[in-house]
Amino acid sequence: MTEKPCHLPRMRGGPEAVRAAMAMAEKFDSLEEHLEKFVENIRQLGIIVSDFQPSSQAGLNQKLNFMVTGLQDIDKCRQQLHDISVPLEVFEYIDQGRNPQLYTKECLERALAKNEQVKGKIDTMKKFKSLLIQELTKVFPEDMAKYKAIRGEDPPP
Amino acid sequence: MENFSALFGGAEPPPATAAAALGFGPAKAAGAGAAPPPAAAVPPPGEDAAHKAAAGPFYLLRELPGSTELTGSTNLITHYNLEHAYNKFCGKKVKEKLSNFLPDLPGMIDLPGSHDNSSLRSLIEKPPICGSSFTPLTGTMLTGFRLHAGPLPEQCRLMHIQPPKKKNKHKHKQSRTQDPVPPETPSDSDHKKKKKKKEEDPERKRKKKEKKKKKNRHSPEHPGVGSSQASSSSSLR
Repeated sequence: MTEKPCHLPRMRGGPEAVRAAMAMAEKFDSLEEHLEKFVENIRQLGIIVSDFQPSSQAGLNQKLNFMVTGLQDIDKCRQQLHDISVPLEVFEYIDQGRNPQLYTKECLERALAKNEQVKGKIDTMKKFKSLLIQELTKVFPEDMAKYKAIRGEDPPP
Repeated sequence: MENFSALFGGAEPPPATAAAALGFGPAKAAGAGAAPPPAAAVPPPGEDAAHKAAAGPFYLLRELPGSTELTGSTNLITHYNLEHAYNKFCGKKVKEKLSNFLPDLPGMIDLPGSHDNSSLRSLIEKPPICGSSFTPLTGTMLTGFRLHAGPLPEQCRLMHIQPPKKKNKHKHKQSRTQDPVPPETPSDSDHKKKKKKKEEDPERKRKKKEKKKKKNRHSPEHPGVGSSQASSSSSLR
């Protein structure tokens, strides 16, 4: 695997944050390495079994035991990564044979779209408020002067 | 509704009377207003006029919600330093298939997990029951893994088939011989020479294997396919 499945955001906070990020990356690297070795072992096991020769028995036994130690190593990695959470929706993508990076992409796109939508609403409401105050001031100048005095000079954001 | 039209409709009603009708005036005007305030929770103005004196004539005026620095009006992608991630995932095309994400993983990973019972969802919903520790296999246990010599039946070879890689499209036919596939029996190579082009489709391969399975059950050449399957599974115990 040439690319890490997890992408770390740029962190503020100086060298400590960078060190923490690097430590996390090392844990992922370690798990990835163990998984790759495990998968490779299973693949070779399959090759041996597909056309078995009696001389391959020792190799087969060795690979079977490596399967057990491989699972042990992967289990040890689990403790270091117990605080990592994976959204269940990613599993839906993987189960459909789709790239999980599409999930990240769609999350970002949805977040941006929603951000733009909310920004539009906020801007429209601000414009409406200023227009409303403007028009009300024309019709009710004294009352609006009282209103502005109560609200204070700083309009809420 | 007549008061709304009085406000926005024309210039006839003077602002003072309109304001009085809407209840903006002092408490007595509100009681005489044709349109009582919509909020039923507001106490009768006559009783709480003293309490509402601090708010002036605006007895419906509430405290504004606290202002927060972070709202939807700021670019949250920039705020959380995700521009790099955004450009990486949304700037360029992300490939659709799982095999593009995990190119080195053997087997047919682009197929849905529900087809071969390898879905992650099933793992979550029904986790396998296993012991707490991993103990290496002893010599006695390994005697159960003494296998019979010879090639596996055709249907068990599925795991060695890799999806054809798109990069080597032009060299596909040449690179097929370089794939790490175990040596084939003569009968298999004859079939494959005839149907070389069609075998690129994994679904067709599977259907072909199912057909062969059915054929083999009835053919005299492989009388013990069912029994050989049982023996292979027992030998792997």
